[in-house]
Amino acid sequence: MNHSETNKPITPCSGNCSCDGGSREKDPWTGNDGSNRRAVLKGLGATLGVAAYAKALAPLTELTQQTSMAEFLQKHYKELTTDEITVVLDRLTRETKEQYGADVTISDPKPIEGVKFGYGLNLSICNGCRKCAEACHLENNHDRPSNQSYIRVFEMTKGSMDFEKGNVHYEHPVPQPDKYYMPVQCQQCEHPPCVDVCPVEATWKEKDGIVVVDYNWCIGCRYCEAACPYHARRFNWQKPEIAAEEINPDQGYLSNRIRPQGVMEKCTFCLHRTRNGRLPACLEACPTGARVFGDLNDPDSEIRWVLENKRVFVLKEELGLKPQFFYFFDE
Amino acid sequence: MNNPASSSDPVSLVSPSTAAKTVPEWRQYLRFLWNAFSQSVEGGWKFYVWMTLLTAVFLVGANAWAVQVRDGMALTSMSDHVSWGLYIANFTFLVGLAAGGVMMVIPAYLYHDEQMHDIVIIGELLAIAAIIMSIMFVVCDLGRPDRFWHMIPGLGKFNFPVSMLTWDVIVLNGYLVINLHICGYLLYKRFRGQAPSTKMYVPAVLLSIVWAISIHTVTAFLYCGLGGRPFWNTAMLAPRFLASAFVSGPAFIIVAIQIIRSQTGRMFGEGAIRTLVSIIRITILINLLMVVSEVFVEFYTGGSHTSAAKYLYFGLHGHNELVPWIWTALTFTLVAVVLFMQSNVNRRPVILNVACLLAFVGLWIEKGMGMIIPAFVPSTLHEIVEYRPSLTEWKVTAGIWALGFMIYTLLLKITINVHSRKLRDASGARTIRSEDSLAMSSEE
Amino acid sequence: MNLSLKRHPKLVWIGFAVLATVCSLAVVWAQKNLKASSDPESANVGRTLTVFPVTVKPGPPTPQLDTGLKDGRGTAITAACSTCHTSTTPNVSRNTADDLFQAHRGLSYNHGNLTCLSCHNSKDYDTLHLADGHRVAFPDVMTLCSQCHGTAMRDYLHGSHGGMNGYWDLTRGPRERNNCVNCHDPHYPEFPLVQPVLPPHDRISVPAKH
Repeated sequence: MNHSETNKPITPCSGNCSCDGGSREKDPWTGNDGSNRRAVLKGLGATLGVAAYAKALAPLTELTQQTSMAEFLQKHYKELTTDEITVVLDRLTRETKEQYGADVTISDPKPIEGVKFGYGLNLSICNGCRKCAEACHLENNHDRPSNQSYIRVFEMTKGSMDFEKGNVHYEHPVPQPDKYYMPVQCQQCEHPPCVDVCPVEATWKEKDGIVVVDYNWCIGCRYCEAACPYHARRFNWQKPEIAAEEINPDQGYLSNRIRPQGVMEKCTFCLHRTRNGRLPACLEACPTGARVFGDLNDPDSEIRWVLENKRVFVLKEELGLKPQFFYFFDE
Repeated sequence: MNNPASSSDPVSLVSPSTAAKTVPEWRQYLRFLWNAFSQSVEGGWKFYVWMTLLTAVFLVGANAWAVQVRDGMALTSMSDHVSWGLYIANFTFLVGLAAGGVMMVIPAYLYHDEQMHDIVIIGELLAIAAIIMSIMFVVCDLGRPDRFWHMIPGLGKFNFPVSMLTWDVIVLNGYLVINLHICGYLLYKRFRGQAPSTKMYVPAVLLSIVWAISIHTVTAFLYCGLGGRPFWNTAMLAPRFLASAFVSGPAFIIVAIQIIRSQTGRMFGEGAIRTLVSIIRITILINLLMVVSEVFVEFYTGGSHTSAAKYLYFGLHGHNELVPWIWTALTFTLVAVVLFMQSNVNRRPVILNVACLLAFVGLWIEKGMGMIIPAFVPSTLHEIVEYRPSLTEWKVTAGIWALGFMIYTLLLKITINVHSRKLRDASGARTIRSEDSLAMSSEE
Repeated sequence: MNLSLKRHPKLVWIGFAVLATVCSLAVVWAQKNLKASSDPESANVGRTLTVFPVTVKPGPPTPQLDTGLKDGRGTAITAACSTCHTSTTPNVSRNTADDLFQAHRGLSYNHGNLTCLSCHNSKDYDTLHLADGHRVAFPDVMTLCSQCHGTAMRDYLHGSHGGMNGYWDLTRGPRERNNCVNCHDPHYPEFPLVQPVLPPHDRISVPAKH
């Protein structure tokens, strides 16, 4: 911008720039009109602002310790070929070793053809010992300090099915004479609302009935947790804490491998066991034998016998979600 | 289109060799954007203090969010029982604010209220700022924001049309694009000194009316379709959202108009404020009626499904964290109703502004803490775990609100500069009066 | 008719709406029909379907009473039940051990209205007996339990009582079951009170006040 000493602009400005046509007063000492100082101050302010912003967001740079480019770019489980899954499992095995110090084997068992899992729970025998919750805690590599488990056992008042009268925090010897005990876990619904609401299809129902989560695809929006009527979903509010010697090394990609921070998880009927024919951990731990598990498509299975011979009910049947978890009393 | 740059133009961003050629439209648009932005960060000392303060708050919020991403959402007070909190509460309210921001569009365009025409843009700019804020709240609520790309159709997996969240992504981003187009086009045309072409923006404006209703309906559908949450599972949620949106939006704009008046020294928008007050008088009563209806259904019927309402209004089994919140909100709303119903409210700015502020804050509480949190208490298995937002959540919330105010301030400054001809393009033909300012709107 | 978009701006919006509808329908169709094939393995291909056994843990051995004496090698000297009981008079109505002092002191007994000899065989104290007099060896005690607790045995055989370890799919592995007496002491069969494990320590949790 050219200005003569007489403080008159030489050429008329069109006002197309950010000054207002050079009509400002000039400083008698420096001969400029302060626009340079203004520009310097603005530049300084902008630089400071950018620097402060970078400093404010600095914690994000530490994220590379928890996640990698390979994980960032990983495709959805359903789109991975067998070879790609092998690569992913290798990477996850290495990451578990780095982050937790344990050697683990992560497999990816597929559903057994023709099998549809169902679970029964005998409320006459359950004594509320919570050994099932403990077995789940140990089998599924849950966070230790919070005693996390997919199973929550409610001490209910006899004569009522109202959960509002239920209590999960009991610590007295069980069973109490006027109470009965109801463990609740994922019901593996036929029409799961959690699957409907997930915006990225990170959770879906498999052919054998188990509703699974791809932990490397979940974005952590927690819409499924809001949608589930059975409080079946758990979110990793922080990185799970578990000592190396307590880690169960027999892991499955869709089930009990150690989940990262910020993703959703849930009971998977121990699919790393059950898809190989084994009983789920909660059932094996139950000392009274209140739990029944099997293939609903096999007419000779224990679960089918229970459904045909016991008076069976499901929770919140009126919601129409068709849970595959059946409760029954003996008498 | 535009005339070639005249040779008498000494300050031209077009290099001499191309001075005689036509500058392509998109370059003109970019030049407009650049000039608009660089001029809008100029101002008096009050402006700099305001923006510096907002920047400081924004940086505190940004840092809190970064720490939250690194260390996990355990820094919030959310839990597996109350899994949505302050972030989603603010998101819900801001989607309503964005919808209500275009409330003025209806009288201006559908009823040809000329006094509203030039001020409609204030509401559309509010919509832009509010949508950006609501999108930021959703991003800050994600456990894995680094996996945002999973939602992009084609790249990731987009569970459309089954998941209502995907509908929300579409309508919110679409609404942002529509409003950016309308405001950008109108301001650009005024910058160029040209009359805007009706078909370039009027269809978008009409679309934005329908779209505004849809963004808040879809957001309500997010919640009211969940059978496991009886507090939300009511048909009344969408109408209630809309009614409260059409109170908070106009209330904010009434105050914004007065602030613009005081900062620019121009008297305008008298008719607009009258229209907005009339709107609020109706919608605030509709909102109140819906609250009464909900309260009746909950408490007359009783039973287990009403535990959430009991918890909200009276506390449950000794837990009463939300009770002061909701009663404050109801009191604010009732006082605002009384004030708005005064016949002289338009002539008494103090009463008007107090009423607007009370309505705004009351609805923020009622729609946020008073609608999101109670659905989680008691939990689906009837456990009572309470929720009180943590410091991290307050910091992030404050940071996003500060950014929203910053964006809105800058957008308003651009608009004022354009309308006052302080920001204008000299190289175009002037086909409209040069004295086209906001002050003339009452005479048009 | 001139279909230029400049003259018919509404066409732009109608066209956009149609395009959006078609696109979303296409996405829905694609998601439903173009899934990456993840057919479950037919895990039975190439497998010979042997059925693995279900084993029940062994019942109690025939009891021996520890006399408290030791022989020359330090082994405890035990006596069979019949050693003493050939010289005692059977008492068919005895249903408590509280007043015993020569042997069986401290035995808790609470098994309904049953007497000792409801199960113990007065004709051969080294065995038990059914109601019709048939002899039951101690390792076969489950037959005796199921005589009265038929419904429990029925449930047990169908897997809804008594638990199991191993495989739900017996074509892939065996299964092991508890014996009745592993959980139920025949003299005091009521399942004992236990202290529950692993109470939830949720990060944010308020115990119910009732």
